[in-house]
Amino acid sequence: MKRLVCVAFVVAAAQGRPEGLRYETPLMNAGLSFASVAQPVRAARTVTYATEVAPLVQDRCAMCHHAGGSAPFSLTTYAETKRHAAQIAEVTRRRFMPPWKADPSDGPFVGQHPLSEAEIQLLRDWADAGAPEGDPHDAPPPRRWAEGWQLGTPDLVITLAQPYTLPPDGTDLFRIFAIPIPADRVRFVRGVEFRPGNPKVVHHANIRVDPTAASRRLDEADPAPGYDGVIARSAGYPDGHFLGWTPGQMSPLLPPDLSWRLEPHTDLVVELHMQPSGKPEAVAPSIGFYFSDTPPTRTPAMLRLGRQSIDIPAGEPHYTITDSFTLPVDAEVEAVQPHAHYRARDVRGLATLPDGTTKRLIDIADWDFRWQHVYRFVTPVKLPKGTTLSMQYVYDNSPSNPRNPQVPPLRARWGQRSSDEMGDLWIQVLTRDDHDLDVLSRAFRPKVAAEDVLGYEAEIERHPDDLGLHDSVAMLYLELGRHEPAIVHFRRSSALAPQSPQTHYNLGTALTLARRLDEAAASFREALRLDPSYANAHNNLGNVLLAQGKNDEAIHEFREVVRLQPDSEAAKKNLATALQRVR
Amino acid sequence: MGRLIALVVALALAQGSLRVENLAGAPVDPLAMAKPVKAIVFLFTSTDCPISNRYAPDLRRLATLFAPQGVIFRLVYPNPAEDAAAIRTHLVDFAYAGATEALRDPKHALVKFTGATITPEAAIYAGGRVQYRGRIDNRFVDFGVDRPAATEHDLHDAIAAILAGKPVAHPETQAVGCYIADFAR
Repeated sequence: MKRLVCVAFVVAAAQGRPEGLRYETPLMNAGLSFASVAQPVRAARTVTYATEVAPLVQDRCAMCHHAGGSAPFSLTTYAETKRHAAQIAEVTRRRFMPPWKADPSDGPFVGQHPLSEAEIQLLRDWADAGAPEGDPHDAPPPRRWAEGWQLGTPDLVITLAQPYTLPPDGTDLFRIFAIPIPADRVRFVRGVEFRPGNPKVVHHANIRVDPTAASRRLDEADPAPGYDGVIARSAGYPDGHFLGWTPGQMSPLLPPDLSWRLEPHTDLVVELHMQPSGKPEAVAPSIGFYFSDTPPTRTPAMLRLGRQSIDIPAGEPHYTITDSFTLPVDAEVEAVQPHAHYRARDVRGLATLPDGTTKRLIDIADWDFRWQHVYRFVTPVKLPKGTTLSMQYVYDNSPSNPRNPQVPPLRARWGQRSSDEMGDLWIQVLTRDDHDLDVLSRAFRPKVAAEDVLGYEAEIERHPDDLGLHDSVAMLYLELGRHEPAIVHFRRSSALAPQSPQTHYNLGTALTLARRLDEAAASFREALRLDPSYANAHNNLGNVLLAQGKNDEAIHEFREVVRLQPDSEAAKKNLATALQRVR
Repeated sequence: MGRLIALVVALALAQGSLRVENLAGAPVDPLAMAKPVKAIVFLFTSTDCPISNRYAPDLRRLATLFAPQGVIFRLVYPNPAEDAAAIRTHLVDFAYAGATEALRDPKHALVKFTGATITPEAAIYAGGRVQYRGRIDNRFVDFGVDRPAATEHDLHDAIAAILAGKPVAHPETQAVGCYIADFAR
């Protein structure tokens, strides 16, 4: 055992990465890796626009419903409001508007604008009375809405190289765009403002960052702007931070100490959820970045509860998933974001404190995929160590769920496509200090990796010949210390791409960890047959040979590494260590 | 059923006096039809109602499908605030031009005659009476709730029944969209 630990260490040292082995495949992305004003109705008097309706509509509706806002029409004047009176009465009665799916008794959350029953009745009474204006002098002065960027002038604005043309008809459409961020040095991001460009059709945006070229390659492979499919695994939330946009939601600027680090050559990945309008529409969102001069001193943790083992039988009206995690340190919940697709109906998140008391984090009784808010607590929820965070989602895969994407219903498994299902509750927490963050991350990481493995396996069943999926899941298995399934998947990769030296190298590395040294040596030799100048393969083969007691052969390999990488201190050190052992 | 009988009575009273406007501003009889026409489909719409507009491609397909069988489609704009210029732009934007005629109904004469309350809502006039009024299909269930694709194609099936000389299975259905009542204000 000791010898093998040594082998692994030397491998790591030779790559200059002290924290572990190096693989020739993209690393997991950061996001996954851790990973009223109630106005009583006065029945005796007619409700008028000037006295009652205008203040209400200005306060709860017009932040989106103004010229240039994210809503499809304006409600800033009497004329505009009057001609939607019946519609306003009806959509507020059904609580379709203002769009707020969470139980109003939870939170309070930033941007929450619920209407009271009395206010809804007032809007109904006004419509029924014929939408009278009243005395215009009684109306509040018109509110001015800042035009353009709401967070101020951005430090950097990016947009699509060319607009995407949304077809005129069909159902909701999802399209992913990889947009290069022209940052030539590390920047610290305090804010990201998304402007939909065409608010009539852009319903919401999922936003991620991809430090790899994976998303860009997918985008470039499609001749039109963007691509169809799923967000690459390498694209995730920046460390501990949410990104994304729904109409009416504005992520506030972060305090400078909570900014996030943007590496150069990172791409912004924007998945647009669009609803065709009936005619072709040009779509070109723009995204503004707000930078801080100083690096962050605190980093939130992004926890993710949920199941990737989702497997809902066709027709099942009540399928439940649950998950939980117990906090090993004190933490403050800053925000939560539930995520599920069309079949989810009931979405709940709960915190159970060590003394048994409970605090509801989120409770959505009528889940609507179209309103993927990030719910930010006005006052962070303080939770002591030992608090259990839990989630329970219920799905309806029966034909009586009108949103069911499949008619007649089919078995639904975990997957990122909107016809598949998901069930995640993202929870952003702040710890007291970096030490607690580390404790939390270490406790949480294996849990999320174990869940991700299930998602990968489901995806691999659909795409058994996808090399990237096999490589990624194999790395997760290694992280979990499950060497044998890692070997199975790396072996599959090497069979899919037998001419790729990297696939044999990866297989050899996993075999080394599983102490199958003869097979490991054979894999490294195959990698070297394909690419004799593959320094890492020479190095790892040297370690295997050393572990097998074949010291002369090992020294030969380490000499090759030094010859190939004459400037590498690590290579020289490994050779020296090997020579010392022989003596 | 009682409602339909009432509609027939209303028709008898209205015959000859029903007037809407064409885009030139001239009064026209919306029920007028040349000899080979077997049915008129009225489609109540609005230039800025999102649900109405999302149906534009479906309506063009239906109009094209049934045109050879003597069915004409007439878009009806009940919002007095939408003038001929705005409607012409709308017809071009949503590629209705050529596939359908367009009428303005600022006084809601045709709205009252058919009983339409929503945009988009369809009414089929054939055999001297309104034989169908309601939704185009069941894609939109409620505000914010719609199916990925319709499973019941009410307007299509009603036209097909009328052309086949059969009774319409569901002569009245509930449309989802914007309220015509708001346009009267």
